[in-house]
Amino acid sequence: MLSSLRGGVVRHLFPAESDQWLAWLRVGLGIEVGLYCLSLRADWTYLFASNGRGLISPHLSEAVLLRDSALTPRLRWFTAAGEYLGLSEDTTVLVLWTCLLCAGLLLTIGFCSRTSAIVAWILHLSAVKSIGFMSYGADNFTTIGLFYLMVAPLPDRLALDHRIRKIRTKDSSRHGFHRRVLQLHLCLVYFFGGLGKCLGKGWWDGSSMWRALIRPPFDVISPETIASWGYLLPVAGVCVCLIEVGYSFLIWPRKTRMIWLILVLGMHIGIGLTMGLYLFSLIMIVLNAAAFAPDLVMVRARQLFFLNRHARV
Amino acid sequence: MGLVRRENLCLAFFVLHFALISAVSLHQMLWLVARGRTLLPQSTHWQTADAILSTILAEQLEPSNPLRQAVATYLNATGIEGGYGFFAPSVPDNHKLVFELHYSTGKMEYVLPEVGEAATGKRLANLLDYIGRTPHEELRVLLIKMLAYSVWRSHSDATSIRAVFGFVKLPSMDEFKHGKKESYQFLYAYDFQFRTELRKSAP
Repeated sequence: MLSSLRGGVVRHLFPAESDQWLAWLRVGLGIEVGLYCLSLRADWTYLFASNGRGLISPHLSEAVLLRDSALTPRLRWFTAAGEYLGLSEDTTVLVLWTCLLCAGLLLTIGFCSRTSAIVAWILHLSAVKSIGFMSYGADNFTTIGLFYLMVAPLPDRLALDHRIRKIRTKDSSRHGFHRRVLQLHLCLVYFFGGLGKCLGKGWWDGSSMWRALIRPPFDVISPETIASWGYLLPVAGVCVCLIEVGYSFLIWPRKTRMIWLILVLGMHIGIGLTMGLYLFSLIMIVLNAAAFAPDLVMVRARQLFFLNRHARV
Repeated sequence: MGLVRRENLCLAFFVLHFALISAVSLHQMLWLVARGRTLLPQSTHWQTADAILSTILAEQLEPSNPLRQAVATYLNATGIEGGYGFFAPSVPDNHKLVFELHYSTGKMEYVLPEVGEAATGKRLANLLDYIGRTPHEELRVLLIKMLAYSVWRSHSDATSIRAVFGFVKLPSMDEFKHGKKESYQFLYAYDFQFRTELRKSAP
């Protein structure tokens, strides 16, 4: 009984998978990390400067973090090392920015994938935790993605590590397990996100949609324009609840997977365009695409290929 | 490493990892339910369940306890320390901080916290919401003082700065259609004085 249960769990958690999902995740996270650096380039030293030269001293965020978790990476580790080497704090902070950007670029092309993933994870996490009062959802999801990438069976077939350095790819059951973890994690994310919204009155009558869209600094579209389409807001609010709660169940069956993936990607594109949350939208699209899109894209590509061949014959 | 041993290790990681994700997410949700912020009726059962999850996440232990430290480090390192209830169950009002700069000439000027990039502006909004949410008065004052100091650095001839913190009450769609605009609700005000000779020291 127990062994058959274990067998079932193992079959579900260790399916044989190709490494395409990993290529999507690696490239997507590389781009996300690069854009994260570029989006903060003008304020980078201002955000991380201590001794009253910046906005909020990272020492304060780190002190709060230190109370809960002494071993979580933080910027202070690197600035202390820089001080030991004779580098000023500003120089160290700029070096970290450059290293993080380079790690993002290397991840995108798949060169030294494992090292790049570890460097990107530790530097991104340090930066995020050192400005903890200012971090938001995009930072958490990037950390989640980078953690999964760091422990994933790298490299994939599209990475330069495989193509130029001839590093062999890992076996398919390992890919299956790592991809399954990402898929199940996303299901929990949407389930709890959707359930939380369903428990609020405002998501059923459209008032939460209205408030989300006019709330500074997410007010990309003028309130007048939104009000003129106001009758759609309750529908949009209910759709968000249904898409998120339904994701956990309807992303699995083959028949509904494509529809639900399109719906959830559409929702994130919508969030990006109407609320200006570009990095958040991008990371959610990357995680969803890596988790569920590769097979669908390949199936469609194969269907198109065979259709063309039959047409030619 | 043998295949079965590797599978067992993966299974152990899987169970632990997803138990923590579920516990954190449920903890956040029950916290909201227990405080009557959802459509569900308030009950002591929610508070009990919330307290159980808090215990599971080792939050009841002393901050220096190794188990609490280990759990918090793992949650932070994997990015699963926060729940996923973005804008749930409702979209909160956003907070606003305005500085009144007073000069020796009697002139007064209003200034907002400044950042260079739009992406940092979104982070600043998060910081202001955090300031509005935190129950710790000392932390709130310290954060506002740091923001005031960052403003004073570019207006160092100001003799004093009054930081006025509040929230922006958004109109409903019907109210907006009838011409009502957002209104500013006062929460706290703090007065700060920074001396030029102390400019190099942190607030």
